[in-house]
This record gives sequence, C-alpha cells and structure tokens, in this order.
Amino acid sequence: MDNQPKIIIIDDEDVVLDSCTLILEGGDYSVMTASNGTTGLSLVEEIQPDLVFIDLKMPGIQGIEVLERITQLNPTIVSIVITGYATVTSAVEAMKKGAYDFLPKPFTPDEFRLITKRGLERRKLMLETIALRKEKEMLRENFAAIVSHELKSPLGAIQQNLYAMSAELTGILAESQMAKFERMKSRIDDLLKLINSWLRVYSVDISKIKDNLSPVLVSAVISKAIESVEPHATRKDISIVKTIENDQMSLAGDEVSVVEALVNIIGNAVKYSYPKSRVLVSAKEIDELIEISISDNGVGIQGEDLPYVFTDFFRGKKDRSCEDSHGIGLTISKRIIEAHNGTISVASVPSKGTTFIIRIPCRDRKDNQPHNEIQNANDLITIV
Amino acid sequence: MTQEKNLLIIDDDPDFVEGIKSILDSAGYKVDVTYNPKSGLQALQDKTYDLLLLDIMMGRGAEGIMIARKLRKDVRLREMPVLIITGIREQMAFLFPGEPVHPRFVAVDELVEKPVEPKMLLEKVSTLISMAEARKTKAG
Repeated sequence: MDNQPKIIIIDDEDVVLDSCTLILEGGDYSVMTASNGTTGLSLVEEIQPDLVFIDLKMPGIQGIEVLERITQLNPTIVSIVITGYATVTSAVEAMKKGAYDFLPKPFTPDEFRLITKRGLERRKLMLETIALRKEKEMLRENFAAIVSHELKSPLGAIQQNLYAMSAELTGILAESQMAKFERMKSRIDDLLKLINSWLRVYSVDISKIKDNLSPVLVSAVISKAIESVEPHATRKDISIVKTIENDQMSLAGDEVSVVEALVNIIGNAVKYSYPKSRVLVSAKEIDELIEISISDNGVGIQGEDLPYVFTDFFRGKKDRSCEDSHGIGLTISKRIIEAHNGTISVASVPSKGTTFIIRIPCRDRKDNQPHNEIQNANDLITIV
Repeated sequence: MTQEKNLLIIDDDPDFVEGIKSILDSAGYKVDVTYNPKSGLQALQDKTYDLLLLDIMMGRGAEGIMIARKLRKDVRLREMPVLIITGIREQMAFLFPGEPVHPRFVAVDELVEKPVEPKMLLEKVSTLISMAEARKTKAG
C-alpha cells in the first residue's frame, strides 16, 4: 500500500473534488482531498504526497500561496494548478512559483488522467535524480578511502621495502645497480604523489576553507612555500627571488591551504623554467587585496592553451624541456584561492615566461557581499 | 648506543612492517611487531617499550587512534613516546576537523607519512627516545 502514489487535490468546489476522485478511481493511487488552502496545506505536510492539484481561485488562502508554501515545504512534491480562468498570465505566474504544469477547467477525464500520469512521472524522475546525486556523492567520498587503501598502501609498502633494501645494500651494490633502485624509488614516488593529488581533488572539500579564515602573515606563507620548492630549484640551478613590500602584511586565509596553492604555482614556475634562470615572487597590498605575483622566464604557455590551465588534468603539450606533471596542481590552487574569495589570473608569452597573479582579500568578508570584480576568475584570464 | 632500546610496531600491513623493521633492526634496535590493535595492546601490557610505532588505519577504521587514546589514559604508558606512521595524512583533516594536520593524539607524539625514508625514520625514533629519557631524568 505504501508504494501507491499519493495525490492530494485542493479545490473549493465539491463537484471538482468528487469528479477528480472518481476519475482516478481504479488507478493505483491513494487520493485525498481538501476544500481549502489551509486544510490542504496541513494535509500536504502530514501526508507528504507525490502530486498535488491546486485550484488557483479559492476563498481563504489563494492557490498561488498554497503552491508557494508547498514548494518551500518540499520542492520535490510535484504541483499542478487547476485554473478556471485559463489566462496565460496566471498559468505563467504559477509555473514561475514552482508549478510543474497547469490544467484549465473544464477538462475531460482523459486529460486529467494524462496530466496525473505525467505529474507522477516527473516526481519519480526527481526522486531518482536525488538518489543518483546522493550515490555520486557517496562514491566521491568512498573513492578517497578506496584509492587510499587499495592503491596507496601497497605502493607505500613496496617503497618502504625499497628504502630498506637500498639502505642495506649501500656499499655492496655497484653504482649502476644502485641507480636502478633510485629509478624504482622515484617512479613509485611519482605514483604516490599522483594518488595524493587525486585524493586532494576528490576527498577534500576545499570550499569548507571559507568557514575558517584567520589572519595569516603573507611573508610567512611565501617563505614556507619557497622552502618547500627550493630543493627542486637548486637542482635546476634556479634562484627564487622574493620581494615583499611589507613584512607585516596579512591576508584572511587558511595557512596550510595558501601554502599549498603557492607551492603548486611556484613549483610550476620552477618546473617550466629554463635552468639557471630566476623565478620572481613578489607581494604587495592594493586596495584591501594582497597581490602575490609569481613570474618565471620559462617555456611559457601557448595562447590557445591559456584558458585551460586551471582545468582538471590539463597539462601543457609535452615538449622537449617539460618535466612530468599530473595537471592537477593549478586546479587545486585555483579552488583554494577562490575559497579565500580571491582570484588567480595568468599571462604568458611562449618561450619568454609566465606570470601568475593571485589576489586575496586582507580581511575576511564572509558576511559582506563578495566584490563583483573578484567573482569569476575566468573573466580575469588575460592573454598577452 | 649505550643500551638496547625496545620498540614495538603495531601495523596491520606485514609488508610495510618488514620495510621499517629491517631499517630499525640494522640500526641496532630490538623490534617487536604486532599486526592488530588487540595483540598490540597486550604486548604493551606485557613488556615495557621505549617507543611505539603506531599505524592509524587498521581493521575497520582508525583503530590506531583508539590505541592512542587508551595510552593517554594509562598512567604507565602515558610516558612512552609514540611515533605515528600513517598513509592518511590527507584525510586527517576530516577525522579531526579544526585541528592542524598534526593532531595531538597523545601527549608526546610525532607523525610521519608512509613511506618514510630510513634517515628520517631513524632521526625521529632517536629524538623521541632521547626526549623521553630527558624528561624521565628531570622528573626523577
């Protein structure tokens, strides 16, 4: 019985209620009626029906208000308005307020049966969509656990044994044999990093950063980020030059994530720089915004690629000097920066270099309207 | 090393354990291993260890955390340094919202991520042990 679709008809005319009930009789529905908006609404609240028919013109609460309240109460309940004066305006008005369809009076039993069937199909689709969305969300959450357990753990164990073995065999194996160990370690390390970046994208809800912004020293986050990239830069003989306008500047942020975003971007600058060149990192305050700019004299980004650099899994075309990348760092950085109500933009000249500019508000303005200028980072992508 | 130090590893991945145990063995530590929380806790009751190397994700979930909590409540075991070795630093933020990436499970602990390089592992182990000894000397 519980699986029977539940239908409520709200109309002040008994003749309409009776005839509608009669029409649906024999169909596999549970039909209830109410003769005014107030009883109709409490019935809807109690029964949580699949489909509601609402007469637009009733004494007491008007149909349109009943419709609005039902939509507020539960947007998945499908409402269809019945209108005695089939004007386009009232129908459009009702559709705007959330009605799925409208039925002009007078109507034939067949018309009523058909619209009932369609309304219930709509409800079914809505519920299915919600269920699918939930399932997708669960998959997303479980993905982290699966990846972490089934892929990361075995790789970690392999790597740990390689570490142990190469330590034990140092001095015993020939240099060329040790080099093979190093190859294995470095490939597994790459895989582990790849898995970590997947986990970052799928499992961490970056938008939650917004809820926890506090003043963070700009000089501190930049220093930490540079420190983490430094070894890579040293290997390529690249110097990272830091210019900070004022050591006491702070931004409203989550320190760990801001450092992560900067590591990705400065790391990229190093990655795509020519050996022996310089990467410049500078920070200043302009109109309540902290502007951090990271520029390199590296391979640059082709104009046609520029709009895609912040897209998941995008990476520059493999060319001679490119190192391996997973194409995920910039996406994460962009999401982190946006969670800080900030923007990131990029300008690049192929073979000359790339400049990334990050702007993050000095103060948390979660309670205020975000400024229009920083609403959509995509608008800020400039191509030089 | 003046005297042999006793370490205990609690980790449910025997392959991983083999990888860290051999590093610790060759550094001269005396290493015991248990592969589940229950026998781990038993081992801690039976013998005094200078350091515990603890995995977090074991069995049906974060059972390592349960062990860490029990240790904190135990007067004798509270003094033992714990080195947490985990593959889930990324997800720590979920498990402990609002806490830094390095959550303080127990009074004295350090956290390293799997896999851990031999040099770093040995450094952390010896630092934690000597810190614990210094505390003991001070207290005594």
